[in-house]
Amino acid sequence: MDLTSGCVRDEPLDVVYAKAFVGGSGLAARYVYEMVDGSTDPLGPDNPLVFMTGPLVGTAMPAAGRCTVCALSPLTGIWGEANTGGFIGPELRFAGYDGLIITGQADRPTWLSVVAGRARLHDATDLWGKDTYAAQEQVRGLLGEPRARVACIGVGGENLARMAAVMNDHGRAAARTGMGAVMGSKRLKAVAFRGSSRVPVADVDALSQVTREAMAFADEDMSAIAIRLAGTAGSVDTMLMYGNLPIRFYQRAEWDPASDLSGVLMAERFQNRNRGCYRCPIACGRETRAPRYGADRVDGPEYETLGALGSLLMINDLEAVIYAGHLCNLLGLDTISTGATVGLACEMFERGVLGSASTGGIEMRFGDADMLHRIIPMIARREGFGDLLADGSAELAKRFGAPELAVTVHRLEVPMHDPRAFSGMVVSYALSPRGACHLQGDMYGVDMGQASEPELGIPAGDRFEVSEQKGRIGARSLAWSNLYNAMILCRFLMPGAECVKRALNAVTGWDLQTPDLLVLGCRIVALKRLLNARRGLKRCDDRLPDLLLEPLDGGATEARVPDVDVLLAGAYAEFGWDPQTGMPTRDTIDALGLRVHFKT
Amino acid sequence: MSIPFPSDEWIQDLSRQLHESASYGRSAKDWEGDFVFVVEPDGAYPNTAYLYLELHHGRSPGAAQIASPEDRTAEFMMSAPYSTWRRVIEGKIDPIQAMMTRQLKVDGNMMKIMRYPKAAKEIVDCCACIPTDFAS
Repeated sequence: MDLTSGCVRDEPLDVVYAKAFVGGSGLAARYVYEMVDGSTDPLGPDNPLVFMTGPLVGTAMPAAGRCTVCALSPLTGIWGEANTGGFIGPELRFAGYDGLIITGQADRPTWLSVVAGRARLHDATDLWGKDTYAAQEQVRGLLGEPRARVACIGVGGENLARMAAVMNDHGRAAARTGMGAVMGSKRLKAVAFRGSSRVPVADVDALSQVTREAMAFADEDMSAIAIRLAGTAGSVDTMLMYGNLPIRFYQRAEWDPASDLSGVLMAERFQNRNRGCYRCPIACGRETRAPRYGADRVDGPEYETLGALGSLLMINDLEAVIYAGHLCNLLGLDTISTGATVGLACEMFERGVLGSASTGGIEMRFGDADMLHRIIPMIARREGFGDLLADGSAELAKRFGAPELAVTVHRLEVPMHDPRAFSGMVVSYALSPRGACHLQGDMYGVDMGQASEPELGIPAGDRFEVSEQKGRIGARSLAWSNLYNAMILCRFLMPGAECVKRALNAVTGWDLQTPDLLVLGCRIVALKRLLNARRGLKRCDDRLPDLLLEPLDGGATEARVPDVDVLLAGAYAEFGWDPQTGMPTRDTIDALGLRVHFKT
Repeated sequence: MSIPFPSDEWIQDLSRQLHESASYGRSAKDWEGDFVFVVEPDGAYPNTAYLYLELHHGRSPGAAQIASPEDRTAEFMMSAPYSTWRRVIEGKIDPIQAMMTRQLKVDGNMMKIMRYPKAAKEIVDCCACIPTDFAS
């Protein structure tokens, strides 16, 4: 869909691309690679915005109800991708498409419907300025399809806040890397999908068998059970115990009041019900309430939100944090980047780097929930000091001459997992194709035993280990996660490589062997790496922020600091990347079969 | 002098250590719920053993080796082969990692356990302080 001309073009799925890059963010990266270069403005009309599904999406396979939203990121300048659950991915396939590539820029607020194989543009003047929940509801009404699935932006995306999210299925979020701002730059308020097309499956019987096995696994797996019981929020206490939950802008090891943010307490005091995505037996989603603020239906908060808007800011008032997350959902903001950027502002304010004159008189203090509730809408609307925060941490720190205080990797704010608690997160953060990310090589999960995959050489190990071998495991985990984000399968269902391979073969008719899985993952990671190199990423950018390399006094990280160079050396070796340039070598490009795709 | 594991003496020593531990007392100050630890036979240990541990508000009022899990009413039962218990006690495997990888199985109210991981860590730390004599 080209929004400048209003032209729509149907294109059959490129099977060569699909076999090489599978789907999801892998396939999206392949398409985007052809469409951008080093000078493409992420907020300009030439940056394609891609809604992509994967081969497993919308099939009977459990936990495959996801969708990925991809583009160059206006927050980081490099590859951006954000994965979301709910029902939007399956509905896109039911509407007759594997993906949707949106280019250009509309001359007025617009929304797009894709219903039963037909795409249409609509005027969105009346939707502009609406919150994400109201916009979704109104689009369904305008379409006359009460069961349509809608993805939209909030005021944050409209105002090009660089941490703006795309929201769908009420409060599900494709949150990271500012995909909402890209959508806003195109003046595209919403997309709606509805259809009843059958999703192709090569071997229905084989898929039925593997589906039964995956369902049975979800019933018995401790990680799945724990997430079903208390959502991702249920891990707050465990992460505190490990020293993994960042406190006071990543600078404190312990803070007893943080346990007030426990997901178990949240379930007891504020939870309305569980909410699951399409065909998901886990149902990690939580609907809560914050009655003190008049919010009777809140989506989440997730663990990341409780950390970013809670412990990171020294706010232990659970109801206030729930409401802050609700504001982000309504306005369409990534809670991680929002919380981390507000945290940076508090740190700068308390160090005297920022003064009241710069903040418009707002006292940016840790522990102040009222300040947080006031500043979040200002970010989304780019009002006053919020305008500076809306550009993200890296820009804020640079503007005030304190770049060393930004806790970002490749300009993306670091999530709520401390690499001092799980050393393998060094690789996850430094080499993630989208910047600091906990979902691309979640080594904390590997070493907790939740995300280990021994069949692929990704065993659970010592969380403090620093070695090249650990770096290699981190690289494999990153490749495996990237394949997950291509198929697309949720990271909370990990029934084993053998099971996943059979599911992929059953759906596609391919004949993959287990070792092929990591080759696919490595190819996708290498593709994104080459795309990022085109955008200016260099080996020296593969680093952790200074604050994460300072030992913490006391607590469960035991004053440890991981050796970044040792871990990355192992990861580069595992990927077959040149340790000097940090880029895939010619031999690696050949081995991954990438040369036929690119002139490098 | 080392204490054999599993044994009545060993679980009583653990109970005593927990009872006296200030850090366990803090991390489990609201905890209510007794445990039965089931030591399952494997190549290194031929029998099944049951160790009952009473835990209440940061203290451990009592413990005993029991002949059968029916001998005492416990809210939680934690089972693993002998060699896995040994690795946990020796600190060679993180207990949460052992649970997640299904080497160690838990029966009981998981929500309650999820609220007190630090207390679980304190128990393991106390285990490591017992001069233990393993069968092999």
